[in-house]
Amino acid sequence: MATHAAFMPGGATKEAAATGVWSWITTVDHKRIGILYGVTAFIFFLMGGIEALIMRAQLARPDSDLVSAQTFNELFTMHGTTMVFLAIMPLSAAFFNYMIPLQIGARDVAFPRLNALSYWIFLSGGLFLNSSFLFGAAPDGGWFGYTTLTTRQFSPGHSIDFWMLGLQILGIASMLAGFNFIVTIVNMRAPGMTLMRMPVFIWMSLVVQFLVVLAFPAITVALILLMFDRFFGTLFYAAAAGADPLLWQHLFWIFGHPEVYILILPAMGIVSEVLPTFARKPLFGAPVVIYSGIMIGFFGFGVWSHHMFSVGMGPVADSVFSIATMLIAVPTGVKILNWISTLWGGTIRFTSALLFSLGFIAMFTMGGLSGVMHASPPVDLQQTDTYFVVAHFHYVLFGGSIFGLFSGFYYWWPKMTGRLLDERLGKLHFWLMMIGFNMTFFPQHYLGLIGMPRRIYTYAADLNWGFWNMVSTIGAFIIALSILVFIVNVFKTRRSGQVAGPDPWDARTLEWAIPSPPPVYNFASIPTVHGRDELWLQKHGDGHGGAPVPKPAPASAKDIAAIHMPPPSYWPILLALALTVMLSGLLISYYQVVLGGLLTLYCMFKFALEYHRPAQEAH
Amino acid sequence: MADPHAAAAHGSQGGHAESHGGGHATVRTYINVAIVLAIITAIEVATLYIPGIPNALLVGSLLIMSAIKFVLVVGFFMHLRYDHNIMRSFFIGPLFIAIGIILALMALFSAFILLPRP
Amino acid sequence: MADAHVHHDPNIGTTGLDNRKVGMWIFLGSDCMFFGSLIGTYLSYKGKSLGGPGPHDVFNIPLTSESAAVLLASSLTMVLALAALQKSDLKWAGRWLLATAILGAHFVLNQVYEFATFVLHDGLTLSTNLFGSSFYTLTGFHGAHVTGGVIWLMALWWQLKRGRLDARDYTKVEIAGLYWHFVDIVWIAIFTIIYLIP
Repeated sequence: MATHAAFMPGGATKEAAATGVWSWITTVDHKRIGILYGVTAFIFFLMGGIEALIMRAQLARPDSDLVSAQTFNELFTMHGTTMVFLAIMPLSAAFFNYMIPLQIGARDVAFPRLNALSYWIFLSGGLFLNSSFLFGAAPDGGWFGYTTLTTRQFSPGHSIDFWMLGLQILGIASMLAGFNFIVTIVNMRAPGMTLMRMPVFIWMSLVVQFLVVLAFPAITVALILLMFDRFFGTLFYAAAAGADPLLWQHLFWIFGHPEVYILILPAMGIVSEVLPTFARKPLFGAPVVIYSGIMIGFFGFGVWSHHMFSVGMGPVADSVFSIATMLIAVPTGVKILNWISTLWGGTIRFTSALLFSLGFIAMFTMGGLSGVMHASPPVDLQQTDTYFVVAHFHYVLFGGSIFGLFSGFYYWWPKMTGRLLDERLGKLHFWLMMIGFNMTFFPQHYLGLIGMPRRIYTYAADLNWGFWNMVSTIGAFIIALSILVFIVNVFKTRRSGQVAGPDPWDARTLEWAIPSPPPVYNFASIPTVHGRDELWLQKHGDGHGGAPVPKPAPASAKDIAAIHMPPPSYWPILLALALTVMLSGLLISYYQVVLGGLLTLYCMFKFALEYHRPAQEAH
Repeated sequence: MADPHAAAAHGSQGGHAESHGGGHATVRTYINVAIVLAIITAIEVATLYIPGIPNALLVGSLLIMSAIKFVLVVGFFMHLRYDHNIMRSFFIGPLFIAIGIILALMALFSAFILLPRP
Repeated sequence: MADAHVHHDPNIGTTGLDNRKVGMWIFLGSDCMFFGSLIGTYLSYKGKSLGGPGPHDVFNIPLTSESAAVLLASSLTMVLALAALQKSDLKWAGRWLLATAILGAHFVLNQVYEFATFVLHDGLTLSTNLFGSSFYTLTGFHGAHVTGGVIWLMALWWQLKRGRLDARDYTKVEIAGLYWHFVDIVWIAIFTIIYLIP
């Protein structure tokens, strides 16, 4: 505690100077945590990608025996789980962490240490899940883990335990981050930033956080029931005792469908920032984009059973969920219209960031169209469990989320690092990825329609699926090449990239009003907000002859020295470790659970009381 | 981190005005609410022992009584009646989604058995 | 500009609301979904057990009614504790906090007794039938929430005893109170839906 007291006065400058591993472990700075999320998630993204490449290599030719059926099961399970929970969600979280406080004109999130805790729990969960490979017990039940396959009777080993506990740990991390971001957005906005003046990325983030905190409890319960079934002999998924195996599917998809929007809405938010910047026009009908986002979030809770049309819920349920699903396409279509209209008549600069956003619009629209096809139960029955579905959700999650996230990388990279990424390599990355992506996934529509089922590890030559599978595999390796180009770009520009300055894109929102990378305290003087595109208003006025709005008065060195930033803390990482010790104990020994529980409780108290009225002691 | 004087001033006066919007419940109100809650609970349990009460009436009245209790605790003890709209919507929105999901699950499992006694 | 923020309580945002309080309300909204899923599970499986004791073979309504009354009373003592603290009446704040924790502990003990009776007397375990599984899981998680609340309240009480908690920290007690009342309203729902409705 004494060391902390030393950090208290002028903590801002102290932490700014701090470097080294310890400073990263104890950091509570939202920007550093954002970078930690980004780097970690990118590494997991590469792992998920390698899993995908192995699967594509296996499927390239008929009757292939590169991997066994069991390994293939593990690969698609870990690929799905990794990409959803360890890549796309935390990559979005990287942008939430870094950009939410900057875009709302705040100095940090509402609960900086809780933010660090979320990251460390996320990391523990990711490592825990992937450590299953080391024990030869990689999860093999699909990312959706349908019961009764995943009950003890049919999955006796530890593989499902790893999956179930890993997801539980990751869920805690996501929910804590969700509470934190909601409070931050609601309560920490700069003066003058009314709800309708919030940037659209902030709005989409807010909707996503609500989806997180309201959808994750459903999977938490589903997993708890599964855990109890597996460890304590309850009967929730035991058909022999009269249980309904659909219970899992319902609970899972009550979470799972909002999860789809958790994955796509951040990308929609990014695109809604990138397009206006590079078209030099305000987002067309921004309030409508915002309302559409809210509608999507709200309807997202009422469509889950469209993942289950083939289980035979009866005509009434099928119709209700089918209509709700078709309805949800409306706000989504509205957004696409708004993005295209933003470009219309704009002064467009074809930067890499814009190209990825355009790619997002095109690919996501195609994924959306095949999605609407699934909304019709009779059509869905033809397509369920075929590669058509695989093609569909990769168009929305890769063509949508990943393209959107890369757009965000190219757009915000200069803000985060102070240097621009190389545009030539960026465009090469884009075109390679665009071509590779479509080569990989477009043929899968066709493969699905001619009957290739999902999740099979090989197929016979006389089915004539070989050619398109080979095309798909070549495409997958082109995607891998494009990712390699991105990594080269990152390393090449790290030292020698063009220095960005505060506002390299002539952008519109507050994060571009401060230096790149921003100082620890973000804003030397907190701005007063006059509109959604505050920085644009400051620079150019409203474009209808209105004078530019005033910039915030510059802060003196004395003002800056007086800014208090929260000091570093090691309790977040300790608490995360204790929690992991407790939950992983279920695999090892109940003594470890108890020990871990006590440790967790101890760390919680230390965490809660760390700064309990420190001013009293200081005076 | 907080300046102790600012925090003290906040605790004694500022905090209330800011977070409790319009009014403020007094100790008297709390006790009255508690008495009403106790009475409703007693009636709830007693309802169960009315001989020959029609099932629909029993279930309906039980649900209404517990809803009243729910609203009383949330409104007065949890101050939601006096609190900011933001917090009201943060709680009531999810509550309705949760109720919707319970009802949907019951419908999907043909377990809509709040009404008929098996 | 910067000055205005330096001397500001870092927990109070630009809306004038306390971050911790807003956060607690969102957590409670999220917990609604948690208990909603558990209650939904219980109700979906209601009456679908194959054999074994059913709800009305085992429920002890007088005992559960007492539990319900105890928990309601603890909600009253909780608000009284907060009211006393806000008036800087530390003595009564401590007493009411302790009373709340004791009432909570009473509820938990009632539940332990109830579970023990069901297991030993009625032979209803987690793996007897669907009712056993879903009943113990739902009420057990509620009991765990109560237990967590008791620990929290005792921690606050201990802080108060050590002179580390006073009227300035009323928000700490207020958010603990919000959690506590939430646990109470979940019991109001469980009591009616699981115990009383036939």
